[in-house]
Amino acid sequence: MNNFWITVTHTAGKRIRSKAFIWSTVITMLLIIGMMNANTILSSFSNDEQDEDVPQSIAVVDNTTSNDTMGEMLASNEEGSFHYVNYTDGNQQEALEQARNEVYDFVLTLNGDPANLEAELFGSGNDYRMGQEVEQDVQRVKESVVTNQLDLNEEELAMIYSPVAFIEQPLTKNGEVQTEETHMQAYWMVYGLVFVIYLIVLSLGSMIATEVATEKSSRVMELIVSSVNPIVQMFGKLVGIGIVGLVNLASLVAAVIIGFLINDNNMLSSILGGAADVSLLVYALILIILGYFVYGGMAAMLGALVSRAEEVNQAIQPLIFLAMIAFFMAIFGLNAPDNIFIHVLSYIPFFTPQLLFLRIGMGTVPVWETILIVGLLILSAILINLLAARIYKGGVLMYGKFSFKNGIKQALTMSKKEK
Amino acid sequence: MTLVIHDVKKEFGRHKAVDGITLTVEKGSMFGMLGANGAGKTTTFRMILGLLDPTEGYVTWGGSPLSYKRTHLVGYLPEERGLYPKLTVKEQLLYLMRLKGMKKSDVIGAMREWLERFRVTEYENKKVEELSKGNQQKIQFIASVLHRPELLILDEPFSGLDPVNTDMLKEAIQDLQKMGTTIVFSSHQMRNVEELCEDLIMLKRGRAVLQGNLRDIKRSYGMKNVIIQAGYNLEFLNSIHGVMNVEKTNGGAIVSVENEKAAEDLFIAIAETGYVRKFEVEEPSLHDIFVDKAGGDDNE
Repeated sequence: MNNFWITVTHTAGKRIRSKAFIWSTVITMLLIIGMMNANTILSSFSNDEQDEDVPQSIAVVDNTTSNDTMGEMLASNEEGSFHYVNYTDGNQQEALEQARNEVYDFVLTLNGDPANLEAELFGSGNDYRMGQEVEQDVQRVKESVVTNQLDLNEEELAMIYSPVAFIEQPLTKNGEVQTEETHMQAYWMVYGLVFVIYLIVLSLGSMIATEVATEKSSRVMELIVSSVNPIVQMFGKLVGIGIVGLVNLASLVAAVIIGFLINDNNMLSSILGGAADVSLLVYALILIILGYFVYGGMAAMLGALVSRAEEVNQAIQPLIFLAMIAFFMAIFGLNAPDNIFIHVLSYIPFFTPQLLFLRIGMGTVPVWETILIVGLLILSAILINLLAARIYKGGVLMYGKFSFKNGIKQALTMSKKEK
Repeated sequence: MTLVIHDVKKEFGRHKAVDGITLTVEKGSMFGMLGANGAGKTTTFRMILGLLDPTEGYVTWGGSPLSYKRTHLVGYLPEERGLYPKLTVKEQLLYLMRLKGMKKSDVIGAMREWLERFRVTEYENKKVEELSKGNQQKIQFIASVLHRPELLILDEPFSGLDPVNTDMLKEAIQDLQKMGTTIVFSSHQMRNVEELCEDLIMLKRGRAVLQGNLRDIKRSYGMKNVIIQAGYNLEFLNSIHGVMNVEKTNGGAIVSVENEKAAEDLFIAIAETGYVRKFEVEEPSLHDIFVDKAGGDDNE
């Protein structure tokens, strides 16, 4: 076992101490912190802060039967993000002329009677929410004018507008119900995890394969495997690179936390408080680790089949495709977690980490099914690694042109246990 | 402790890489393994090290196979040299020797002794990729002997070395043998084998074509060279039974004969013809035997 830990520390230490690793980690951390504070940074560069504080002005041309009441009511509205002006100096044409001369930013014309109000907004700009907000303002004014005409008193109004007390309850005692809040929380966690697994497979997988292929191409491998059992060495590498991955992940999490602290808003507490669903985080960790071993074992095997580091990309292509398929299916599945397709595919070990987590996070998976699928994943991780170790053992002694079929066949012959 | 290889065979699918080799190497001796490329030397070494399982037969060191628990007893210099190009000599040796179960402080001490012996002390903290090929080879050799192995396997130790470094390495190997290390090595360079080995085996397509003590082999080997110096044309010797080749030299010829009897016939024939300044029957060189037996010259 001693040689196992020597390999682990050698593999992890060499990577973590390398300048490339330190710099890329530092730069990524700075990028994350920077992006999280992009608002603050951007606004500190722009001097036209005052423009943002002055609300945009809208000239209201009231042609309704209400004798300018609506225009006045809009103008007297202190809340909201717009400054309404009741334009009584002329008709719509003149108001538009004024807007073109930049006296006003927008022109709003109201036609018809309050019960059948027609509103038109003239203006330019790229803020699509603007129309919605103006519509809401007009709607509110219309409601109050109409209720006024109907002669309803305050109490009657309150009765109409008082909100409904809406509570969601699970059907069974221990059941769960997806509220919008928990849905969004799970949505983002699943999204995040699916992305993390994808990145892990892509970066750590190719790291493992490259490491193995480099040792082979520099021919130091033969010396190493004369001292260490290749299987011990392979798992030492898997764990070593896994530690590098954890250090990397931890540094990213640290960057996110630092970013929030600098940003000084309470999103951090809301997310940490919101993620009260610790079980989801535990699932995430278990699935990341198991997924790492499934894909990592494959990567080590593929790395052992090539003779030169340049061939690594070609060799791990199938693995990257698998990870990509899983990634896109999980993204698709976010909106249909109960799809039978997702359901079935979540049993396939290469897709389990992403799809099972998606199903747990977005829907409700019975406990027995979770245990079954995770059990299958553990079993296949063990089987894949046993096979990978066999091929690895033969593969590291093998040199020549890379080909999947012949390579695997040859590697199995080389590692053949005789008698 | 003896190395015993007993009727070992190794098949890769249909291909027989090694086909029934038996040999014994006594403790403290130096054993040579010869053969053209692809004769099965590296496969045999890998089976000795336990990297490959023999299809039939067994390999033992001191009575039991060399498993990974006993890897510290063996030193190995692979034919294909390789070290971590990005690591320094020190980091390199530390990692490799810790895998052999050595303590860090022991490694450093032994490493400095060896670097001094090979006059490369200044490279301790240099990356391997910055060293010349010959110096990389020295480091590689150090990596195979630093942990004082009982059994040392050297696959082509002299290839790519200049004469000065070859002598330096030869001396180091002989010193290790004096200290009791058992050494098995392969080489294409017959001169080195003749200088170093007492016993040898010659392989061809996985089989032993020649095996035993070097002097016995040479003495009992039928083919001999006769060096003749005479002032007349010697080409008529071709017609004598048992003469394989007549090679003209300055003032004479070197005649290859099948056996001692043919040399006698040769002597009578020449004596009848005229005066000879020189007539010498020479033992064949290992080079001649190699070419004759293993077929194909392979001097690197």
